[in-house]
Amino acid sequence: MERVKTALGSFFGAIGGFFKKFGTAVAQGDIFVKLSLLWMGAGYCRRKQFIKAILITIFEVAVIAFTFGFALDYVSKFSTLGTVQQESVFNVMTMKNEFNDYDHSFLILLMSLVSFVVWIIFAVIYLNNVIHAFELQKLEESGKHINTFREDMREFLNRKFHITLLTLPVVGIIIFTVIPFFVLFLVAFTNYDQQHMPPSALFTWVGFRNFRDLFSSGGLTVTFGYAFVRVLAWTLIWAVFATFTTYIGGILLSLLINHKNTKLPRMWRTLFIITIAVPQFVSLLLVRNFFANNGIANTFCANIGLTGWLRDIGAISTSYIPFLSAPGWAHVMIVIINIWVGVPYQMLIATGVLMNIPTEQMESAKIDGATPRQIFVHITMPYVLFITGPSLVTDFVKNINNFNVIFLLTNGVFTTTNQLMANSQAKEVDLLVTWLYTLTQDYYNYKMASAIGIIVFLICAVFTLVSFNRLIQGDREEAYR
Amino acid sequence: MNMKKLTAFLLAATMTFSLAACGNPEVAGDSSAPAETAPAAETPAETPAETAPEQAEVPAEKQDVSLRIWGAEEDQAMLQGMIDAFAEHYADYANFSIELGVESESTAKDTVLTDIEAAADVYAFASDQLVDLVNAGALQSIDEMDGALQAYAGKSVADIKAANVDGAVEASTYNNTLYAFPMSADNGYFLFYDSSVLSADDVKSWDAMLTKAGEAGKKVGMTIASGWYNASFFYGAGFTTGLNADGTTAIDWNGTADVSGVEVTKGMLDIASNSAFLAVADGDISNQIASGQLCAAVSGTWDALAAQEAFGDGYAATKLPTFTAGGKEIQQAAVVGYKMVAVNAYSQNAGWAALLAEWITNEENQAIRFATREVGPSNKVVADSGEVAANVAIAALAEQSAYGVVQTVGGNFWDPTATFGEMIAQGSLVRDDDAAIQTALDTMVEGVSAAVQ
Amino acid sequence: MKKKYIDMIWRHVLLAFLAFIWLIPIVWLFVTSFSTYPGRNTSTFFPEHWTLNNYKNLLFAADSVAQFPNWFKNTFIVACCSCIISSAFVLMVAYATSCMRFKMRKPLMNIGVILNLFPGFLSMIAVYFILRTLNLTNNHWGLVLVYSASSGLGYLIAKGFFDTIPASLREAAYLDGASEATIFYKVVVPMSQPIIVYTVISSFLAPWMDFVFAKMILNAGISSKWTVSIGLFNMLDKSLINTYFTQFCAGGVLVSIPISALFVIMQKFYVEGVTGGSVKG
Repeated sequence: MERVKTALGSFFGAIGGFFKKFGTAVAQGDIFVKLSLLWMGAGYCRRKQFIKAILITIFEVAVIAFTFGFALDYVSKFSTLGTVQQESVFNVMTMKNEFNDYDHSFLILLMSLVSFVVWIIFAVIYLNNVIHAFELQKLEESGKHINTFREDMREFLNRKFHITLLTLPVVGIIIFTVIPFFVLFLVAFTNYDQQHMPPSALFTWVGFRNFRDLFSSGGLTVTFGYAFVRVLAWTLIWAVFATFTTYIGGILLSLLINHKNTKLPRMWRTLFIITIAVPQFVSLLLVRNFFANNGIANTFCANIGLTGWLRDIGAISTSYIPFLSAPGWAHVMIVIINIWVGVPYQMLIATGVLMNIPTEQMESAKIDGATPRQIFVHITMPYVLFITGPSLVTDFVKNINNFNVIFLLTNGVFTTTNQLMANSQAKEVDLLVTWLYTLTQDYYNYKMASAIGIIVFLICAVFTLVSFNRLIQGDREEAYR
Repeated sequence: MNMKKLTAFLLAATMTFSLAACGNPEVAGDSSAPAETAPAAETPAETPAETAPEQAEVPAEKQDVSLRIWGAEEDQAMLQGMIDAFAEHYADYANFSIELGVESESTAKDTVLTDIEAAADVYAFASDQLVDLVNAGALQSIDEMDGALQAYAGKSVADIKAANVDGAVEASTYNNTLYAFPMSADNGYFLFYDSSVLSADDVKSWDAMLTKAGEAGKKVGMTIASGWYNASFFYGAGFTTGLNADGTTAIDWNGTADVSGVEVTKGMLDIASNSAFLAVADGDISNQIASGQLCAAVSGTWDALAAQEAFGDGYAATKLPTFTAGGKEIQQAAVVGYKMVAVNAYSQNAGWAALLAEWITNEENQAIRFATREVGPSNKVVADSGEVAANVAIAALAEQSAYGVVQTVGGNFWDPTATFGEMIAQGSLVRDDDAAIQTALDTMVEGVSAAVQ
Repeated sequence: MKKKYIDMIWRHVLLAFLAFIWLIPIVWLFVTSFSTYPGRNTSTFFPEHWTLNNYKNLLFAADSVAQFPNWFKNTFIVACCSCIISSAFVLMVAYATSCMRFKMRKPLMNIGVILNLFPGFLSMIAVYFILRTLNLTNNHWGLVLVYSASSGLGYLIAKGFFDTIPASLREAAYLDGASEATIFYKVVVPMSQPIIVYTVISSFLAPWMDFVFAKMILNAGISSKWTVSIGLFNMLDKSLINTYFTQFCAGGVLVSIPISALFVIMQKFYVEGVTGGSVKG
């Protein structure tokens, strides 16, 4: 917690310092620095940095054009998310529909966000620009060398190389992760659902109503609260089991393969790796058919009498073993199948780690007469845990969001017999993410899906921050050098 | 700070330019686009072109019309033929470029509703999706197209309604507006059976059929975990479903019609608990028929081929049997489904799209469709033709249609009813526990009639 | 010595048993792809009659359902492009965060880690509309962007690897007058073979596995533009599964062959790369 506080403190401190600098620049700057408030190229022109001046002017004009030509159309409607319903009249003369100038709530939301991002970026550059103009002024006053454009550019390959490196990746991340994330966030506060689907209908802000509906069980709302608690519980149970079974399985398997008594370790490894090479959706759909109610596994079990025996002891009430179609059975099977999918990956990772175990420690332990078991428990395992701890946390988070395994194994196969779950379009085997997928793909309930999405994200973020912060932070990054 | 500066600059510049480009009205999706482009500048020619029909004033210049159409995978080759014929037939009025895409009729709604504006101009779908599509504003009213149809196809909307069977027209109509052109009338189910195992008398009731099948060591398969199939028991006993004005689904299955809902459920439990009955997962029935362990199955024309292969010379089909509920023999009803072709409300060329939709569902093309794919036509003339009547499956469907119900339900219908069916299939409801059955029915009804989210 | 042999025997028996279990589905996939019966075989493990027709149909007789050669080509192109972009992004971000020191470094890294927790497909619809606004739906470039644009977030493993490169190496180059860019291209990248292989493999695989995004973005129903995963997934549609299941299996085998080859050849690097970030060299 302390760390978070200091981090936040320094962050806001930096922002404060930034504004202070800006204030000083405006107060103490000469006329050209002040002119930079209007025309961003002014300061550069005065210091004869003409190319920079032209570039920044183009940028300024572009942002202004963007604002008036595009952004304001959307942002002005942001508070209502649109008011003009779509209407159309067919014109038999042109054989075309004539539409009115209708509002598309979702595009208003999305484009407003894009505009906000552009403006924030512009604001930062704008403030920085004034500060920079002031710095140039001071440089000039003290008679120091002012960089030519070429020199400025060269800096981007050297001292400022990180800017060159980071620009494109950050742009990609902003467009494809940050903005979509904020869209998801905002949709949770609207009534975007099947009754309010753009382009034919409009949706609007509803405040915290969706979250209230999610947490109030029973009553007028559908049983979302009831389903949510159960789905959340299974999501966490699944994440724990899926993570630890594959993790431990992977380590055991790699210990088995990499032992000095095992011949042909490469061949064994390859055999297991082949299962990674088959795309997951192929192998999982295949396994699902394998364990279908009328699949081969069932035929086999019926032939050897297992099905009959299970019926006799009352474990099943159907003429087949419901491997993937009854709660309990399906839960266990999903975890087992996930072991099948995940262990080879973990085995690869563990192999790498085990190959690098410091041998001196092992040798000295052996000389001291430690048994292989003791060595494993006291030396190997702590070492492996230490090294792979961070990836264990990421795996846990990935499993919370493990869409593929659950969706491919149960979609269309598993029909719940819990009516309250069914009334919320959930199933016992659903993870929060698969439930969310059903809500959006089959029921167009974007508002609830977004609310659930935010909660999934919060769970992941809190979990990671708590357990992860120390592990990934710079504590270790200097250690090797 | 400098790092931030360049990052931000490049970022904003990239965005500014790319997004400014999108303000351009010709990019689809900009809400201002239609207003600017729609009122076409071209004035109609003063005298209609010679080739044009007299009633309509048609622009003298040939338009360039590009259309996109979606059809099922299996229909692609056939559809391409129809499209080519269409382009040739109307070649005098416009230059067509028509792109044919794949979209299964059963999933059309999902793809369309993700982004209506990007969906094809013309697409086929199954009748149960109509309500959702209309509510989302995805469908062009065909009534509005009357003028265009009369001008170019020489038919009015009334002619089209008259040419197709009433049920199909009813299923394509919502709030008194026709929203699609009926294409086929075979999207319903009935009973396939192996006449070498079961006699025509055996298949008249579930009891007799299951007894006989049990004796022969075979099974009777039906999907129960689906509201589309299990509704047949309730409809048979006089229960109904419908849509309220606010979009919620009206359902009365927990009450009493000819018999009580509890009695119907008990009747279903009797069938499901019979060892000769096989509860088949939704969509798995063809596979079960092909596996050879069934001697009868409830399915539709799409499985005719599989049934023919599995049953061989014994291949036969008929209406669904009766079942026992509350001491009465009740004829099992069936959902009659249709497939239709609709026009996207956001089509850039709605008029020509409507003509194309009309074209691929007209009498000739329904005949072609039957000839190539054995699809049961909705067109009355084609349906009455000798070949169609001789088709075993379609004859059974016609027989069943006397007990057919057009299912109008909202989206919340499916999950609760599927779960209810699964409870019956897995035997988690006990036959003698009336109270529990009533509770289950109540819960189902509550879920189905819940407010649309 | 005797003890050692017993140990060896049980190890190999256990391994053989595990490998057997792990390979059952793969073998089933393989043998089913040679079956003459086009639907799912539910009664026997091995097909009753064997044929090569599934492969022949898939490769040489493309119909509207199965356009495998096209799909393979599309996926290959998308995979190559997105793998180049992703690898470049990952290396760039990793170098900047590992080898350089600048003001916003830690905040950016923290934001990156948190954002990476956010599962992309939760906001699929927003991504879709962004692509549509950029006119990139039904376009393979759109798909490339979806797979690679955010890849910078996956920098952690590569950063860990760069952390292990001794700073003295870079300092020496710096003294020789090399710029950061030169150090990046001439010193660090050549030393990062394992991590590059790892990044390349994992980003190359994504387009072969994903069907959710691909299906949403290539939504015009033109089957020749699909990727392998949408196409194969589509074959399991209720109305098609009974005629295309074995072709689906054949497709699965064909896709797996190049990927397995890649894995087997690159095994060593992959192992080094995946753990390089966390292992002291």
